[in-house]
Amino acid sequence: MIAAFRAEWVPLLRPRFLLGTLGAVVACALLGTVLTFFSVGHRDFDGDPVTAAALSRPDGLLQGVQAVSILLGVVALSVVAASLAGDHSHGTLRNQLVARPHRARLLAGKLLALAAFVVLIVAAATAVSVGLSFLLAPTRGVSTAAWSSGAGLVELGTGFVNLCLGSLGYAAIGALAAILLRGPAAAIAVALAYALPVEMLIARIYRPARSWLPVQLMQEIATGGAADPMPYADALLRGVVYAGVMVLLALMVFRRRDMTA
Amino acid sequence: MTSGSATDPAHANHDPAHGTAASPTVMDGTAGLARADTAIWTRGLTKRYGARRAVDHLDLQVPRGALSGFVGPNGAGKSTTLRMLLGLIRPSAGHGHVLGEPITEPDRYLHRVGAMIEGPTFHPGLSGRRNLDQLAILRGIGGWQRALRQRRVEEVLGQVGLGERADDRFSTYSLGMKQRLGIAAALLPDPCLLILDEPTNGLDPAGIREIRALLGQLAGGGMTVFVSSHLLTEVEQICDHLVMINGGRMLFQGHVTDLLAAEDPRIVMIPEHDADARRLAGLLGDEGLRVEIDLRNGPPDASATRGRRPVVTAHAPEGLAAHLNRLAMRAGITLRSLRTHRPNLEETFLRVTGEIDGDLVRTAQAGQEPDGSVPPPVGAGLDPAHSRGGAT
Ligand SMILES: Nc1ncnc2c1ncn2[C@@H]1O[C@H](COP(=O)(O)OP(=O)(O)OP(=O)(O)O)[C@@H](O)[C@H]1O
Ligand SMILES: [Mg+2]
Repeated sequence: MIAAFRAEWVPLLRPRFLLGTLGAVVACALLGTVLTFFSVGHRDFDGDPVTAAALSRPDGLLQGVQAVSILLGVVALSVVAASLAGDHSHGTLRNQLVARPHRARLLAGKLLALAAFVVLIVAAATAVSVGLSFLLAPTRGVSTAAWSSGAGLVELGTGFVNLCLGSLGYAAIGALAAILLRGPAAAIAVALAYALPVEMLIARIYRPARSWLPVQLMQEIATGGAADPMPYADALLRGVVYAGVMVLLALMVFRRRDMTA
Repeated sequence: MTSGSATDPAHANHDPAHGTAASPTVMDGTAGLARADTAIWTRGLTKRYGARRAVDHLDLQVPRGALSGFVGPNGAGKSTTLRMLLGLIRPSAGHGHVLGEPITEPDRYLHRVGAMIEGPTFHPGLSGRRNLDQLAILRGIGGWQRALRQRRVEEVLGQVGLGERADDRFSTYSLGMKQRLGIAAALLPDPCLLILDEPTNGLDPAGIREIRALLGQLAGGGMTVFVSSHLLTEVEQICDHLVMINGGRMLFQGHVTDLLAAEDPRIVMIPEHDADARRLAGLLGDEGLRVEIDLRNGPPDASATRGRRPVVTAHAPEGLAAHLNRLAMRAGITLRSLRTHRPNLEETFLRVTGEIDGDLVRTAQAGQEPDGSVPPPVGAGLDPAHSRGGAT
């Protein structure tokens, strides 16, 4: 598993891919942060007023990146789906399986590496957003005092962990789609189509479904349970169960399947 | 006219009853091998895709240390067989052992196996070197010592002559370069058993020669090499052991020389005067030889005068050539040309794989063969009766 983990970094760290992915998440973070600070004095998507006072609270520092947590999730899902399904479609998987025949360990190592990569890109997005928030705060009359207080640091830590967990949830959906569909384009298209329009429609038509739909739960976790009256702990538990089941399913399919690619 | 050539073992014990097209035609030159002496050993190995049997009850026995060729027409089931040996796909039935370990437990033997299946497949965005590096990490080569790993990668790159372009992206490689990288990857673990699926596909003549030399050298060093190929002249040149399949079924396995030795040797004669052909045929027939007269364009070397000349073919070993010449001379027939012919692997392959069913029928009727034009020469039908000794 350690060998599989180490080996997976070789394609993940190739410059084009790394720069492309980092570029995408940094752009998302910039967008979210700039828009969040510029919306001070206006109303947000849900119709709630955005005020300088709210942004000055200890949890205000991560508002910018949390606003685009869905985009981070999409990037995480795409990266994982592209990597895993790419192994199938390039035919590199069969070389890897000859080198590491223990399938469950191979996939587990790959998933761990991909999870670490997701944490890395979320960290990059968070760092950019935090830096920009400090730059933009004075221009919109937002106080940064609470951000760097003890409470602020705790909020930063938990907020970051939540963002990571949410993105990893998206990544699990990408992993399952990749293992089932075996082609990057199909895997990303199907996973995104499910995650965005399908779930959103269901949640809009039947609101209680929000507390049971996996992507809605990931979203809940990523934003620290801000949007819904459902307790955060419940969302976290359900989200972890969903992600666990998806990974387990992927492992089971991967172990049994004929490698004809 | 029937066969009178007692030197042909295939005719000596031919049994048409075994020649039904449906029965698996297994010829096994290594039947006496114990499982421990084989690098690859399977019994009843079968893979079904729906109703189609891609591989049908294969009993493989590739001796340790052999340089074994794996041949068969497109769709014969070669790649499917190799995938099963590598644990990539599950057999529908049957079992097998590779390097003494069951194929259901690929992690027990694959660390000693290098393989390239169905062409070189690598990450297009990574250089050849990084691709190998990834596989080397996966295989745990050099442990945590990067220098050791890189040295091994460098070695195999050198072995296949890819050193100079190793840092270019895989997607920019030519077909032959990709192929070389695939072979390099297979060599990476310094395997006991090397399994290559059409490694020379796309290589230039010099490249084919290099690979031939490399495989010979590896086999000489004790490595077992099991290589599928459509280049039969190559296989004939380098392989000492051969497995031939068609439609998922075994046609022959054993020594190449045994297969060819069983083939029907012929002496081809062209009389100076066309009118003598029939008389010559009669003469040879009286000697107890199976003879055919074929009206065809004479062999290129003999045809100063163009046109169709009768060619008299006697099914007889090379050693009889002088005797036949003398016989013709005594009867006052001058031969414009006389040459001996032993089918090579390619001819044998085409006959056996392309015409196996018809051939079996035809061999059974050999007695009634009219001595008119017979376009393709009919040789020995391959069937289970033709067991090829136990020598390895
Ligand atoms: N995944 C699959 N699903 C269905 N049929 C398959 C599959 N893989 C192989 N086959 C069938 O199995 C048979 C054997 O295929 P295989 O690739 O083993 O042939 P091959 O001997 O390697 O041929 P070639 O010389 O063209 O490489 C073919 O009829 C093929 O169509
Ligand atoms: Mg093939």
